[in-house]
Amino acid sequence: MTGWRHSITLRLALAFALLAALVFAALGIYLSRSADRHMAELDAHELLGKLALARHAGGNERSPAALAARLGDALVGEHGVIVAVDSEKGAIFAWPDAGKARALVQASAAVGETPLPLEVAGRDYRAAAGAIHTGWGEEARVVVARDIRHHTDFLDQMRRDFWLAVLAAALLTAGAGLLVARRGLLPVRAIAQAAGRISAGRLDERIPEHDVPAELDELVSAFNAMLGRLEESFRRLSDFSADLAHELRTPIHTLRMQTEVSLGKPRSVDEYRDLLASSLEEYERLSRIIGDMLFLAKAEHGLVSPGQETIALRGLCRRLVEYYGILAEDIGLELRGDEAAIPGDRLMLERAIGNLLVNAIQHTPSGGRIVLAIAREAERAVIIVSNSGPAIPPEALGRIFDRFVRLNQESEGSGLGLAIARSIVHAHHGTIAVRTGERTTEFVIGLPLRVAR
Amino acid sequence: MKILIVEDEAKTGDYLRQGLAEAGFTVDLVRNGVDGMHEGLSGDHDLLILDVNLPGLDGWQVLKALRAAGRELPVLFLTARDQVEDRVRGLELGADDYLVKPFAFSELLARVRTLLRRGRVREAETLALADLQLDVLKRRASRAGRRIDLTAKEFALLELFLRRPGEVLSRSYIASQVWDMNFASDTNVVEVAIRRLRAKVDDEFTPRLIHTLRGMGYVMEIR
Repeated sequence: MTGWRHSITLRLALAFALLAALVFAALGIYLSRSADRHMAELDAHELLGKLALARHAGGNERSPAALAARLGDALVGEHGVIVAVDSEKGAIFAWPDAGKARALVQASAAVGETPLPLEVAGRDYRAAAGAIHTGWGEEARVVVARDIRHHTDFLDQMRRDFWLAVLAAALLTAGAGLLVARRGLLPVRAIAQAAGRISAGRLDERIPEHDVPAELDELVSAFNAMLGRLEESFRRLSDFSADLAHELRTPIHTLRMQTEVSLGKPRSVDEYRDLLASSLEEYERLSRIIGDMLFLAKAEHGLVSPGQETIALRGLCRRLVEYYGILAEDIGLELRGDEAAIPGDRLMLERAIGNLLVNAIQHTPSGGRIVLAIAREAERAVIIVSNSGPAIPPEALGRIFDRFVRLNQESEGSGLGLAIARSIVHAHHGTIAVRTGERTTEFVIGLPLRVAR
Repeated sequence: MKILIVEDEAKTGDYLRQGLAEAGFTVDLVRNGVDGMHEGLSGDHDLLILDVNLPGLDGWQVLKALRAAGRELPVLFLTARDQVEDRVRGLELGADDYLVKPFAFSELLARVRTLLRRGRVREAETLALADLQLDVLKRRASRAGRRIDLTAKEFALLELFLRRPGEVLSRSYIASQVWDMNFASDTNVVEVAIRRLRAKVDDEFTPRLIHTLRGMGYVMEIR
């Protein structure tokens, strides 16, 4: 029922038709009015001419008979004209016959020198009347009338034709509108078809942007941008699954091997205990990887909402230095800088900064030095973890925050530490960057001092 | 001490029961929310371990019913989802603590003991095991009459062991109690810290008091 509302083509066609009908109708009304007026002017001109003639003749002729003869001569060949000249004594002149003239005189009592439409003996006339001073000294009245039937017939015909034209124009423009709209909407259909071709396996499909009408440009580029984002998230999701499967496979493989081998022959209780303890370690590793991966997945999809308590960064960093300093046996670990309080999630920030510290400790040669510095800027707090040590190779710099990137192959870590740090910083609307030089590497976190809205 | 476990996952429930029973507790195990509510209302348990996802009545509903009936026993809830809302909800409904699956059994045991101990005993001011002595107020430690110098954190670590003799303390539990680090970390900070503590309180003495349980954590006891 509401189909027509939803069809742009139909709506456009109807709008076109309505518009054409309105324009033609207005034009028709205007033309018929001017034709009307023009005809009236022509009639008036003729009537006033006849009136002037009768006056002139009446003023010059010396007897009623002479006037009648003169007027009779002047009107020879005139059809559809009635002329009557009456004095107080009776009719002086009647054209074309006395009957018509009498009827005219009777009907025209109210008519003056301005021509008026008048019905005489059932027919439409236009009439004008005036007084004459006759050459023989009498006051007379002359009435002239013009049959306007052929004029009204013409106008009626014209109006009928016009309404037909309006109807035809409406139908034609509706049809044309239908075609134009359908043609104009072809690119939309192309978009729909392109959208129909898209599936999980074919997210690289795009709508060509070069031959799209200007009006659809925005739609098409928005659509393509959406596809781009979808493809990106989908790619990340599949990478995520692949990474996860790969990372889980190693500990599961270990577990399976050691269990199978151990069950292969009877062993001492101690050996079984060893096996179980070793399995427990692998389980722990597995659950940590799963926990970390879940955290990253949630963070990537904006599902991590950090708390907004006020965090005194210096105290938090001091505790981290105290804790991880235990690992930095022959490395100098120093905390510097001012106090800065930011809104955030204590657990998450501990984890993020802690991960950077662990990363620094792992990459600092013995005898080296790590500085954890806090600085307050106008809008943000900056936390810098810098460590002495060789530069990060340029090819690794770009993907240093990616999952499962381990620069140090012997490293025990899961390779998720920096990725998690980045997710946490982003969840706090902050920034994280890395700078590396020949002697020092710096990780810089910027966190807003006020709750970001 | 009598503990009620409400856990629908069969293996988890069985091992929880076995583990807690072997740790010296009397344990009842039920496998759905309705039984859990009845047992919780009618029983004389000192602690309830409650899984959140249960058939029939879920953990929240059981907890609500118990609190509405005025049962004030401590409740430790277990959840598989590490969602802030979950934690907040549980604690708002009157749970006393929570653990996210998968967790270490030693962690559970430590929490259970903390909950049962809460408000019962005044914490002792001097602690001792074998010839190791700790004066908590004066922050002094000695073994076999010899004064031992400890850093503040080493002292806190030793105090934790001495307050929990014979209990297995997992690495993450130790990290959270001594350093207030509350996230799972794959570093060996705790191992290094224990090694240093041992060098001061154990290496030159007999018997050894701090023992490593591979894969589980550490325990202080006379063996």
